[in-house]
Amino acid sequence: MRYDSITDAIGNTPLVRIDAAVHGLRNIDLYAKLEMLNPFGSVKDRPAWHMARPLLSEAAGGDGTVVELSSGNTAKALALLAGLNGLRFKSVTNRMRVPEIKELLLLLGAEIEELPGRSECLDPTDTDDPLTRFHQALSEPGSTYLHTDQYFNPRNVEAHATGTGPEIVKDLDGRAPDWFVACVGTAGSSTGVAKVLREHDPQVRVLGLVADKSDFIPGIRTIDEVHQVGLFDPATYDSIASVTSQEAIDGMVTLIRRCGLLSGPTGGAAYQGAVRQLAAVDAELAGTGDRQTAVFIVCDRAESYLSYVRDRRPELLGRTRRGHSSASLTDAEIRADARTVAVEEARQWLARGEPRPLVIDLRGPHAYATLHIEGATNIVDEVFEELVRSGLPFSKRTPVLLACPVGEKSLRYAALLTRMGHPDVRSLAGGIVAWRDAGAPLVRE
Amino acid sequence: MEKDAPLYLRPRVQPPLAALLGEVRFLHSLVDALGSPLNVLLPEVVAENAARFLSVYRRHRLSGRVYFAHKANRSSALVRRLAGCDPAAVGVDVASLGELRHVLACGFTGDRVMATGPKDPQFLWLAARVGATVNVDSADELRELAGLVRGHGLSRTRVLARLSGFESDAGYGGVGTRVLSRGSRFGTPVAEAETLWSALEEHMDAVELIGLAYHLDTTGLEEKARALERCVLLMDECRERGLTPGAVDIGGGFGVGYVAEAAEWESWTTALSEAVLGVRSPLTWRGHGYGLRAEGGTVRGTAALYPAHRTVAGPRYLDELLSRPAPALGRSPATLLLEHLNDLYIEPGRALVDQCGVSLARVLEVRRTNDAPDRYLVRLGMNAGDVSLEEHGVLVDPVLLPRDGAPGGPDGDGAGGGRPVGVHLVGNLCLEADLITRRLVYLPRLPRAGDVLAFVNTAGYAMDFHAHQAQRQPVARTVAVTQDAGTWRWCPDEDYWPLIHPRKGSS
Repeated sequence: MRYDSITDAIGNTPLVRIDAAVHGLRNIDLYAKLEMLNPFGSVKDRPAWHMARPLLSEAAGGDGTVVELSSGNTAKALALLAGLNGLRFKSVTNRMRVPEIKELLLLLGAEIEELPGRSECLDPTDTDDPLTRFHQALSEPGSTYLHTDQYFNPRNVEAHATGTGPEIVKDLDGRAPDWFVACVGTAGSSTGVAKVLREHDPQVRVLGLVADKSDFIPGIRTIDEVHQVGLFDPATYDSIASVTSQEAIDGMVTLIRRCGLLSGPTGGAAYQGAVRQLAAVDAELAGTGDRQTAVFIVCDRAESYLSYVRDRRPELLGRTRRGHSSASLTDAEIRADARTVAVEEARQWLARGEPRPLVIDLRGPHAYATLHIEGATNIVDEVFEELVRSGLPFSKRTPVLLACPVGEKSLRYAALLTRMGHPDVRSLAGGIVAWRDAGAPLVRE
Repeated sequence: MEKDAPLYLRPRVQPPLAALLGEVRFLHSLVDALGSPLNVLLPEVVAENAARFLSVYRRHRLSGRVYFAHKANRSSALVRRLAGCDPAAVGVDVASLGELRHVLACGFTGDRVMATGPKDPQFLWLAARVGATVNVDSADELRELAGLVRGHGLSRTRVLARLSGFESDAGYGGVGTRVLSRGSRFGTPVAEAETLWSALEEHMDAVELIGLAYHLDTTGLEEKARALERCVLLMDECRERGLTPGAVDIGGGFGVGYVAEAAEWESWTTALSEAVLGVRSPLTWRGHGYGLRAEGGTVRGTAALYPAHRTVAGPRYLDELLSRPAPALGRSPATLLLEHLNDLYIEPGRALVDQCGVSLARVLEVRRTNDAPDRYLVRLGMNAGDVSLEEHGVLVDPVLLPRDGAPGGPDGDGAGGGRPVGVHLVGNLCLEADLITRRLVYLPRLPRAGDVLAFVNTAGYAMDFHAHQAQRQPVARTVAVTQDAGTWRWCPDEDYWPLIHPRKGSS
């Protein structure tokens, strides 16, 4: 297929049936709308393009900055659209909770401003919060900000009412599904799709999924946050249920490992929530001979959420590493195998030792540059851990003095290197702190 | 949804405070003798809290001091108990001449005292005279201090340089993103620090820079980690100029969890949004939204509420802050401090007096409200200044201590049985606005005149910070209580000294 612009590739995403052997619903056909296959990678490509298009045509060639409150896919799509049009993009967000997304946005050229945490010493009369200042800056005369305002902009809903919704109906041979399951973020996709489906068939039931209040699922708001969304109308949903991050990951793993769908946690939450809610419906349908159809949205892809999974389900990613590791030593092994040397003795050793011992400073490079023992080599502990994993990084004929801040890490490594066969490695007792406290000389770089 | 189910915000109560609340007769006898309102403090707990902070230091192999932010509570007992702790590990942060005089009288030597906040010449003189460390706000304040030191023949004074404005700091980029912060009127912006360094060099004969300080008003760990890392790096710049700073003072703001159950806090805050939208009956006096408002079916604004349920607060918050990787250098703040050979100073206020006190008020009158038949007004022998929950956005239920009988709690059956009831707690001032809390408070049963309500965990800012003598209503007296072989003993706050058993042999 040939396009003049990547934006022409937005939309017309596949609707894929999930195998009944996977979801276990005997009387319901469950379909996934693969919004992750949009060119910028998510369901947000549609509203981002639809909201930004009129602003971009006005601002073309000017000195504008597209701004949005987004920490995820909307920011990603807008950053790319802004770049396409020679404009800048700035995202103002609460904490960026998924580091890969933050780095990806920086790669896309986005400027990110993170809002501060809540005030600890509360002043109930304070009106000067950064979000208020943000809105003031937008409305200042002469402002070159182009604010897409995804939580309040009706074009967010319209993008789905003219795109996602009709596509689903078309792919189901002109019929609306009996069930539509959507995670509620900006409420744009659920509101837009629900509107179209109900026009076709007022009997369509719409299930909204929100995150548990103390939980975090990317792209899904909690029930309180949903109330702050301008596009959210409770009447859109026949019911609202909550899902947890554990369910989201369970669903994601099922979609990935059983269905060949490289879904992120938001899609996983939609799948898991759909199956959970439809199970009761499925039981009622049993024996009636009726079949029903349900559709959920796979919002985006898995790759950006590895750290999200690692934090919550490390066993899904983790294999223990092989090789030598200081972490594998017990306290008894450390006591038995590590040699230490006190500050005064170490100074003598450095002055008179033949050959002179190699001094390895295990602290961070900045601390090393600030003050260190003359002649020391800096190998920061993380790097040292990797070096020794596969073998001794220096000759057994060279004696070694290991130094860290208080002589704790150096003790572990002294034990480890001794167990690896080094005949003369010693840990500086009390570390650099003891060295300083004894008045021994430290030099700066 | 059961819209009329009682929405409790039951307080987090730990021993020994929990045991004290069980001593209903003892607490009633104190209120009988000393009047309502009455503040009760547990000085032993403040020492235990300091030990908990110090155990976090030990875990990270850090040295330095915990400075109690005195402004959190006026009590002598708390300050005297802290004066009795290890002098090398526990100090006190004073923010006025009066506080400085008070801590000196309580047994703190000058070298354990940190002077912070806005300072007048008398405060600066006495701080310098007794060898306190002065946390200087600006180059001007530094010059004023140096002038006093020279003019009055005082010895060289140790200072910390308080910095602010880390948000707009362009140094050590590569972090990629900008973290916005609330502005502060205290401290010298990092961007203007050059004038401060020059002043420190110029006045080196009179003042000695021992470290850098900041305090950020936020619960956000990210902002604090950034500022801490920046200070470590700035310390090195200072050393290059020949200054000799050795400590980073990261201020306070470690937080306290007031509400015991996360689920109660979450239900209540959700219900507040719903009440603001009008989909459920108000939870507050005249539908007050605590900063939230409805606009076209959408909730706007920010709830000006203290995050009353905290999973991470106090010493654990410090631990988290020290453990997470810092943004620019990637090492944890604890590792950075240790590797750069820096001491850590902290100035907890609220968190250090967590579980240290309770404010008691006698129920004076109970009557039905005019507008809702199932709601009551409960008038107390105290006013909003005596337990300033509203001033700090702290929401928590009081504990009902019946005149006769067991302590009331939603789980126990208070004297006379009774059902949970929603009440508005009103104060003793002749003012429409004098509400102890604007929240509709659910109690396990309707209180009676003569009962006592105990507001738990008020020692941090909520006990005496806003107390006043308007309308000549009595200001709360404060007593210190200690447990001695199962027996509770008390003495007036001003009579407490950190000996093992106050009033031993006198009772």
